[in-house]
Amino acid sequence: MSPQDQDNQENSTHFGYQTVDKSEKESKVAGVFHSVAAQYDVMNDLMSFGIHRLWKRFTIDASGVRPGNKVLDLAGGTGDLTAKFSQLVGKDGQVILADINSSMLNVGRDKLRDRGLVQNIEYVQANAQHLPFEDNTFDIITIAFGLRNVTDKDEALRSMFRVLKPGGRLLVLEFSKPEQELVSKAYDFYSFNILPKMGELVAKDGDSYQYLAESIRMHPDQDTLKEMMNNAGFEQTTYKNLTGGVVALHKGYKF
Amino acid sequence: MANNTTLHQQLLCSALEAIINKALALSLNGTQSLYPLEQKNLVVYLAELGFPLSFIVNNSKVLVTSLSENPDCAIHTSVKTLVALKNEQSLTELIKQDKLDIVGDIKIAQQYANMAETLEIDWQSELAKHIGDVPTYKLTQLSKKLADKLGFAVKQIQADSTEWLVHEKRLVVTSSQIAAFNLQVSELEIHTETVNDRFLAIEKALLNRSSKQFAVNSNKDSSE
Ligand SMILES: C[S@@+](CC[C@H](N)C(=O)[O-])C[C@H]1O[C@@H](n2cnc3c(N)ncnc32)[C@H](O)[C@@H]1O
Repeated sequence: MSPQDQDNQENSTHFGYQTVDKSEKESKVAGVFHSVAAQYDVMNDLMSFGIHRLWKRFTIDASGVRPGNKVLDLAGGTGDLTAKFSQLVGKDGQVILADINSSMLNVGRDKLRDRGLVQNIEYVQANAQHLPFEDNTFDIITIAFGLRNVTDKDEALRSMFRVLKPGGRLLVLEFSKPEQELVSKAYDFYSFNILPKMGELVAKDGDSYQYLAESIRMHPDQDTLKEMMNNAGFEQTTYKNLTGGVVALHKGYKF
Repeated sequence: MANNTTLHQQLLCSALEAIINKALALSLNGTQSLYPLEQKNLVVYLAELGFPLSFIVNNSKVLVTSLSENPDCAIHTSVKTLVALKNEQSLTELIKQDKLDIVGDIKIAQQYANMAETLEIDWQSELAKHIGDVPTYKLTQLSKKLADKLGFAVKQIQADSTEWLVHEKRLVVTSSQIAAFNLQVSELEIHTETVNDRFLAIEKALLNRSSKQFAVNSNKDSSE
């Protein structure tokens, strides 16, 4: 490998199947989420047949959240997890919905306010790689369907580790690698043929949904992500496959 | 540990949550009965279910999850116990018979029971809307038997709480004792099955041998 190639590799990353400059990925991802924000919830229900709600419930159950806890819902988008956490931590607790994208945050804020959830939620525009919080702040951090969009995942995991309290836990809910070949094939067909068409029809935005399908395939598989969490300092890291490994929930502790 | 998990648990919790809150919205004094329960957490362990059902109230809504850490009150029992519940039986009796365990503040269980009393829920049609007809059919087969018993159990919880409070806590079996006992029972079951298999194998071998013997004898007879 020539020094120039090496240099290129260090500065490049994936945007779906394309290789792009690291500095470019963030703005491209931003473009996708500015564009899907308004239709995001409807599309989520449509694309996953509503199952994303159960995956999120599973995450809440696995979080062990208690009244009074301080929770960070990172890459929280339109705030599904925030809504549940806010009710479970109660008035003595606090939830921070953080996202890099102002359009997603705005949709989230409006939705939660409409549902009367105001008292213990704060909204922060932030990049997962450089979290603007003090060390040892949160009891729980969740990042649901967000990590694959982050340019430097290792840096983001280190940043999450830093702001977690000792004894706190991180839960990463993300698309992963289906365990069975057959499921994998059906899922590929669905995501590359049906999903972008649905995106085109309903959200008038096939390209963004093509990116989403590609980014899912480029995301590290279960064991690789587990290793990455360990490298960032997390301990007792485990994962559970949901829906045949289409999605996995990783959990790790900071001690 | 990496294993695959089905989401039935979350589906059931989500259905229960929707049904309870709908019934609360329709009932006259539904949400009023929730005031004393704000942020109070009741966890119910039904042996047959294999996971806890956790109820917590926030802003006049009931949330149903499987979160079981540090509840204000936890009830351990089984559907079997509730179905077999006799009208004259009291909670304390069940506790003495190790069929029910209440840990924590029983007033919370009592208040949840009060709230449940105010709700009129047609479980069969409501559940079918959420989880489909087939699982509902199976569930309602069971819940038909359970329905009136549950009503009775609710009354017992309301009536017996004071009596229970003065009862000595050591009567109550702990969940770890129950778990250890369950483990012993399943181990015993496995042993019995192994022994049974052996019996069957021996029986088969004996049968084979005697039928061969019979064939040899009858051959001998016919040639003689
Ligand atoms: C697929 S959405 C998931 C939203 C929500 N968590 C959910 O599960 O419905 C992904 C979110 O990640 C956000 N995101 C992407 N890159 C990010 C980064 N570097 N830091 C924080 N958020 C980011 C996007 O703006 C988007 O809202």
